[in-house]
Amino acid sequence: MALIYSGGNNVESDELFINMGPVHPSTHGVLRFKLRMDGESIKECTPVIGYLHRGTEKLGEMKTYLQFIPYTDRLDYISAFPNNYAFVKAVEELAGIEVPLRAEYIRVMTMELNRIVNHLVGIGSLLMDLGAATMIMWGFRERENALQLFEMLCGARMTFNYIKPGGVREDMPEGFIPKLNEFLKDMEKRIDDYEQLINGNEIFHMRMKNIGVISGKDAVNYGWTGPTLRGSGVDYDLRKYEPYSIYPDLDFKVCVRKEGDSFARFIVRMDEMKESLHILRQVVDNMPESKVISSAEYGIAPMTGTPSSVSTYFPRIFAPPPGEVYSRIEAPKGELGFYVVSDGTTKPYRVKIRSPSFCNLTAIPSLVKGLKIPDLIAAFGTIDVVLGDVDR
Amino acid sequence: MNAAEELKALLPGSVISIGLQLNKPMAVIKKEDLVKVAGKAKDLGFDHLSVVTGIDYKDHFEVIYNFFSYSKKQNLALKVNLDHDKPEVDSLTSLWKGADWLERETFDLVGIKFIGHPNLIRILLPDGWNGHPLRKDYDMNTEQFVTIGENGDDVVSPDGTNLLRRK
Amino acid sequence: MLFLAMWTGDIMFANTYELIVFILNYIGIYDPIYNVFKMFGLEYLLRIIIVLVEIAVLFVFILLTIMFLTWMERKVVAMVQARYGPMVTGPRGLLQPVMDGVKLIGKEDIIPAKADRWVFTLAPFLIFIPALLVFIPLPFGESLIISDLNVGLLYIIAISAISPIAILMAGWASNNKYSLMGAVRAVAQDLSYTIPLALSAIAVVLFTGSLSTVDIVTAQSGTWFGFIPKWFIFLQPLGFILFLIASIAEMGRIPFDFQESESELVAGFFTEYSGMKFAMFFLAEYAHLFSVSAIVVTLFLGGWSIPFLNLIPATFAALVPIISLVVFVIKTYAIIFFAMWLRDTVPRMRIDQLLNLGWKTMIPLALLNLLVTALLMTAGVF
Repeated sequence: MALIYSGGNNVESDELFINMGPVHPSTHGVLRFKLRMDGESIKECTPVIGYLHRGTEKLGEMKTYLQFIPYTDRLDYISAFPNNYAFVKAVEELAGIEVPLRAEYIRVMTMELNRIVNHLVGIGSLLMDLGAATMIMWGFRERENALQLFEMLCGARMTFNYIKPGGVREDMPEGFIPKLNEFLKDMEKRIDDYEQLINGNEIFHMRMKNIGVISGKDAVNYGWTGPTLRGSGVDYDLRKYEPYSIYPDLDFKVCVRKEGDSFARFIVRMDEMKESLHILRQVVDNMPESKVISSAEYGIAPMTGTPSSVSTYFPRIFAPPPGEVYSRIEAPKGELGFYVVSDGTTKPYRVKIRSPSFCNLTAIPSLVKGLKIPDLIAAFGTIDVVLGDVDR
Repeated sequence: MNAAEELKALLPGSVISIGLQLNKPMAVIKKEDLVKVAGKAKDLGFDHLSVVTGIDYKDHFEVIYNFFSYSKKQNLALKVNLDHDKPEVDSLTSLWKGADWLERETFDLVGIKFIGHPNLIRILLPDGWNGHPLRKDYDMNTEQFVTIGENGDDVVSPDGTNLLRRK
Repeated sequence: MLFLAMWTGDIMFANTYELIVFILNYIGIYDPIYNVFKMFGLEYLLRIIIVLVEIAVLFVFILLTIMFLTWMERKVVAMVQARYGPMVTGPRGLLQPVMDGVKLIGKEDIIPAKADRWVFTLAPFLIFIPALLVFIPLPFGESLIISDLNVGLLYIIAISAISPIAILMAGWASNNKYSLMGAVRAVAQDLSYTIPLALSAIAVVLFTGSLSTVDIVTAQSGTWFGFIPKWFIFLQPLGFILFLIASIAEMGRIPFDFQESESELVAGFFTEYSGMKFAMFFLAEYAHLFSVSAIVVTLFLGGWSIPFLNLIPATFAALVPIISLVVFVIKTYAIIFFAMWLRDTVPRMRIDQLLNLGWKTMIPLALLNLLVTALLMTAGVF
């Protein structure tokens, strides 16, 4: 439970210091809030982070490019495919690698699946903090199906290590596409269920509307990106306006809401899940037949012992030319960017990770001024922070 | 004319050179004019400060700011070179509120001081930590012990005097 | 004599004491026992003993129901959430409450050092006992009532009003600033929802003219048009909704359970309690759930009566108490199921939204309900 200490009960002001400690059911991870309260309302809120800092950026300087990819999995551990992909995209731009078309389709498929899974967890934990525990249980039921798909694809449920410079590690197994189609059909009906459960609920509206309002200009100034920014009316999605991979060929809408309060951010996430289903259907229908990993020079050995149509044997040295690159993608939580500096050796000189949760968290002190603690929980839940991403 | 060339045309004294960061326009600027140039970039429409990167090359430091414009959909990178002994540069918190934590993180891990920052303390590492890990001369073999203090803040010591159980 | 004619539809006996006396007479052992007591000059003692036996049976029934309700709640919540719930202890998890009880009994009973010992120990009992006392004027079936007080409804509301005192005792005696704050908030919630509760109940009394629960139930027997039962829910739909919401708020269930939400910092008033005292709070909550559902059923859903009960041939008149008990239990469990279903569907309200709802919305509506009912009654519509 929360560590509570009270200091500073001055004579002149009735201030109360409250510490929502690192171990707390509603801060999703080890995050600490130091709150200075004036009666019921929050006067000042200071987040304290760093409890999950593992030195990923320093490790990037000591591991080769391929050895670093599993570390990227563990950044935002709920959606690990986009993390992999962001790093691999930076490396591919540095080294100028061409990726076969089938590999791009598989990458986009996994990333969109991961987007759905991520939003399910985000919405579920938000509602669990508000008291309706049903949504998280239903969300995890769908997540289970998606995780079984991932396990079929790459053997792991949470930290995949699947996307490599030059393509993906191996091709999809036999029964994958039928099972994916089943998942898509199922998911449509379930999203309708969720909307019926939550969207019209009066009590939910009372808890979420006009809480944590931020205008579009302020949001941009704070460096917000992703669904939180689109909830404030700024129409920007990296997949649409700075497209990478095969997104130029895909047809989807960008979900934007104007109000800028917690309810708008929530609805943006629900809509994004539906758009992801739409994208997934297009990807599955148009999947080309080709290799899944590009050819010889790029140092990735196959998992199986024999050469196959999807990958070939090649040497294990991978050293991109010297240079620096900053590449960003639209991860489920926002804009995930990797700044990679290479000095021509097999290990990067510097890897800097621009994580969306870290930048979204900076606005919390000004967002919650004057709110009460239950509102802090509601507003903070819609920003969808994962501490692995914040602390790296 | 891309954004870096525009900046060079507007503020020729501050921009040392222009080039490309792979395929994005990059301008190397003088460190004293950082706030001026960044303000001009903001006027030109670059309203999104994406990342602040600090890099330790062994003879100098570099701080790289990546901007993006939502209206014009263009990228821009600004690079500042700093001395190795005294890595200090002005803070951009007056223009972008999001620069607050990004600069604190750069201070914490790389050791670059941002003059004018309202609250330049460590953010990811515990408050009493010695050294800046992402510098190339950081000694990784010394141990530092971290425990929790009276009111929840961290206590760091290099020799384990703050541990409850002696080593 | 009763067995020679059609059961008339009137209540056979005023309360269970008389039913037991009738049964003992029927078996033939009442007179000998009575004479034994009369020898010692202690006739009244027999009555006391019979009533004590009734109370013991009721107590056991309530405790078993509470244990069953804890299991049922976990199962219902699990079924809504697409999972199984307790399955390991006993067949389908039915022994789970027993295991919970064993666990709680085995826990250390901690009393904080600076807490007020007597008040601290007394508070859980003071919450649990009124939750049981409220069952006395409730008719569980035809002639199955411990005591038909002629101010039954007033007694029920008065006993329910004891709980704020006990909550304050618990919060104060814990010697913990946040327990006290939690207790004060719980009392605020209680008081602000007792008023619409009482007002909606009074509107029912306008129809029967009597506060006795047995009269309320018999006023709801019979049908209109041959198939719609004359339950007060059809005459007082607004009153029913208000009473139901007010009672869910009194119990502190979701959507009104900010006390138990772990997301909030202010701890509930029972944080310092452990072991069996903690168990008392939860037993009291489920007893309260059962009693409140029983009251809702009695006031609005016809109690133990179903439309065609008085057509049972007289030879089976002895079945009437049993059938009415079954009907009562089914109706009560329907309301309990609704409360449990509501719990997993909606999020919880903030404390100030909750109090706003109670004072600004429900009290005016309850007064309006009362006014309209009184006007229609004087106009002769009912």
